Amino acid sequence: MIWLISRLYTVFFVEQVYGPDTWMRLAVSGLILGGMYAVIAIGYTLVYGILLMINFAHGEVMMLGAFGGYFAFEALEAISAKSVENPKLNFLNAQPLLSVFIAFLTGMLVSATVGYFLEKIAYRPLRNAPRLVPLISAIGASTFLQNSGQLLFGPQRRDYANPDILTRGTGWIINVGGSKVMLTYTGVFSFALSIILMVGLYLVVQRTKLGRAMRAVSQDKKTAALMGIDVDDIISKTFVISGVLAGAAGVMWGIHNGLINFYTGFIPGIKAFTSAVLGGIGNIPGAMLGGIFLGVIEAIGPAILGIDFQLKDVLAFSILVLVLMFRPSGILGEALTEEKI
Amino acid sequence: MKSTPVRNGINAGIVFGILVIFSSLTGFTLTATKMIGNAVNTMKLMKTTGAMAWVNLVIFVILLGFFAGWMAAKRRDPDKISDALISGLVAGVIAGIIAAAYAFLIGSLDAAKVNLRNYLPYMSKDAIKQFLFLKKNDLITPALMHFGYTIGGSLLGAMFARWIVRGKWRLNINQKFVEGSTSLASLPWVVNLRNSAYFRYIALGLVFLALFFIPRSLSSYWNYIIGLVGIYVLMGLGLNIIVGYSGQLVLGYVAFFAMGAYSFALLTAPEPHHIMLTFWQALPLSVLLAALTGVLLGLPLLNLRGDYLAIVTLGFGEIIRILLKSDILAFFTGGPKGLRQLAQPKLFGKPFHGDVEYVYLITLAVILVIFVTQRLKNSHSGRGWESIREDQTVSQAMGVNTYSSKLLALAIGAGFAGLAGALFASRNLFTGPEDHVLMVSINVLCLVIVGGMGSIPGVILGAFVLKGLPELLRDLELYRMLAFGALLVVMMIIRPEGLWPSSRPKLENQFLEINNSPQPTGESGEKAG
Repeated sequence: MIWLISRLYTVFFVEQVYGPDTWMRLAVSGLILGGMYAVIAIGYTLVYGILLMINFAHGEVMMLGAFGGYFAFEALEAISAKSVENPKLNFLNAQPLLSVFIAFLTGMLVSATVGYFLEKIAYRPLRNAPRLVPLISAIGASTFLQNSGQLLFGPQRRDYANPDILTRGTGWIINVGGSKVMLTYTGVFSFALSIILMVGLYLVVQRTKLGRAMRAVSQDKKTAALMGIDVDDIISKTFVISGVLAGAAGVMWGIHNGLINFYTGFIPGIKAFTSAVLGGIGNIPGAMLGGIFLGVIEAIGPAILGIDFQLKDVLAFSILVLVLMFRPSGILGEALTEEKI
Repeated sequence: MKSTPVRNGINAGIVFGILVIFSSLTGFTLTATKMIGNAVNTMKLMKTTGAMAWVNLVIFVILLGFFAGWMAAKRRDPDKISDALISGLVAGVIAGIIAAAYAFLIGSLDAAKVNLRNYLPYMSKDAIKQFLFLKKNDLITPALMHFGYTIGGSLLGAMFARWIVRGKWRLNINQKFVEGSTSLASLPWVVNLRNSAYFRYIALGLVFLALFFIPRSLSSYWNYIIGLVGIYVLMGLGLNIIVGYSGQLVLGYVAFFAMGAYSFALLTAPEPHHIMLTFWQALPLSVLLAALTGVLLGLPLLNLRGDYLAIVTLGFGEIIRILLKSDILAFFTGGPKGLRQLAQPKLFGKPFHGDVEYVYLITLAVILVIFVTQRLKNSHSGRGWESIREDQTVSQAMGVNTYSSKLLALAIGAGFAGLAGALFASRNLFTGPEDHVLMVSINVLCLVIVGGMGSIPGVILGAFVLKGLPELLRDLELYRMLAFGALLVVMMIIRPEGLWPSSRPKLENQFLEINNSPQPTGESGEKAG
């Protein structure tokens, strides 16, 4: 801890390799990334809270959602909406807001469907099995989905066709310490959307009947069933909700980062899991906080520690290892009982 | 939602309809028809290529329909023919409608000059043409053909399920088989033979003779494959100790493999360190180094519970791969280029070169590892591992030092992986970061689970099934990982103990069965799904 503070002091006040504009840039990109991690991490945490299992295939659900959004954009781009003054106009640019909405809807729908059937086929028959069994099944499902992604869409990377108002690399320019820092439209859009999704989810879990049932099931399945809750139905709905979030995150990922392929879901999936653990798995605000925290650390951590940016993944995994070693219940997690940890 | 014939039929029909679309989209239809074509061609049934493709697709569609009907009808009461027929018919109609609609859709898209290949790489012109039975400018006929053939196949499947699988015929066979095997095993001379030491030695001798002579008679390609299978057997046996015996799920197993391969490479390659040890000096060192990595990784992590350990070790495997690939350690490990010109073994002054010698070497290593595993399994530590796997808390209460036991399992498992890595690197004369991807870990885990956790013959069988079979079915290369994933899920649902389970029953399962009070929740919903 002391070492960390002294290191921070050295970086900011003694070495001064990076100016304030660079720090700003890094922090902004970290926040954007962190928002997406947070949205994916909620999916892990929801499922873990209810089934006490790691939904290993969650990253792949996100990848399929990203492809859903991609195909929606491609289809909308192919629809012509030409007018007299602009003969080349297509639907995507004629109705950009509607198009983005449709893309998100498609991505969410695809991911929610995949999540629903994933639970029904791969996890439900194993509800009472020893704990390693569903995990192995999840690994199998993940491999299956990843490879079907590769076979269906090919191994090459695909370029997301954003509408013109969300062109990548354009944005507002703000002045920090004498030099210019760009806040990209896609980044601001993604971050705002992830905040909206998180607030929405929080309201669903805390205020609605479904949310109350979900919390009840996560506390005690048997008692919840005795109180008249259809546990299987709630578990299905949990998978659908986490699928919706993963799909939205996938489309955000595509819009902001531009390139997607079948492997897109793997690294964000693991990072989001790390975030969920970081914040205390099973804990929804913890997952949000953990996601944003991890995104920021990944962006500015290498600069602070003075290591190469190639090693940001190593940094994220090291944080995971350290958290699990010293505080397995995470930042916000409560002290877990023997059964839960 | 009661399970009625119609309902069974609808479920099976939807599943197989989706399967038809999925296999067409992934290009599996093309591959499968090609394989069917090869099979049919050897029987000299058809000559002309146009008719070939046409007939093969018909066979493929009928086969799919057959399985749909079988699946729909096999759950029904075997005495009611009408039930089986209704299920089969409904399944066929549903699957047929889906297939026909799909054929109509891609046909009309193709006619409208939409290039599907931009988005779906396996939907080439040929694939579409073939899926439409090579009919030009006609969409109704192919759709009707899909519909008809699927229903036909499905009815056949339903009849098959009714008469052959669930009928009395099978019951008789089963009874005879069971009676026969028990009577054979209980015959006095069989028992005497099985217990006689001479018989065992003779059998072992025969196995060794076979192991010596078979590689000599095979081609270099087959020896290469057998060597690869052997390396995976080594890794499987190592992971079997960690996962199967001590019950710790380690997903970053490839890290130890990489440690073995890289230690070996760095100790023997001329670049970048020029240490240039010989094979026999470097091999034990790399095994030790890999085992040491296992201990170092285990020290902080082994107190973690199942799935956390899995994720952390997965992260560790990725860290190792990223570090090996990055430029930062390139001065030490050769970076993305990898390491070349590794040592090969010399015995009595004669260098090894062919694949046959490596097969011998790997077989020797496998035998050694099997021996060590067998001895460990029945030792004090082996029993300790099994008690940890069944219940860690109880085992601790019984006086097992769980921490050091798990550490020992991890170290030994890692050492075996190191041995496999060193042999692999030496055989290839090269090692690089691409040899040590996550897929290796998943493959090894798959073969242990498919073979049967905790069972030595199971691991060997699993390695042959998962690494050997795909070489036999070269055409299916693309679909291998897909099948692995599906296989893992299916195995977990149908047969979690594996193909060749260990003889000692898992206490946990029995315990679960006793304690399994009826689920309080929608049991009926599960049945329908």
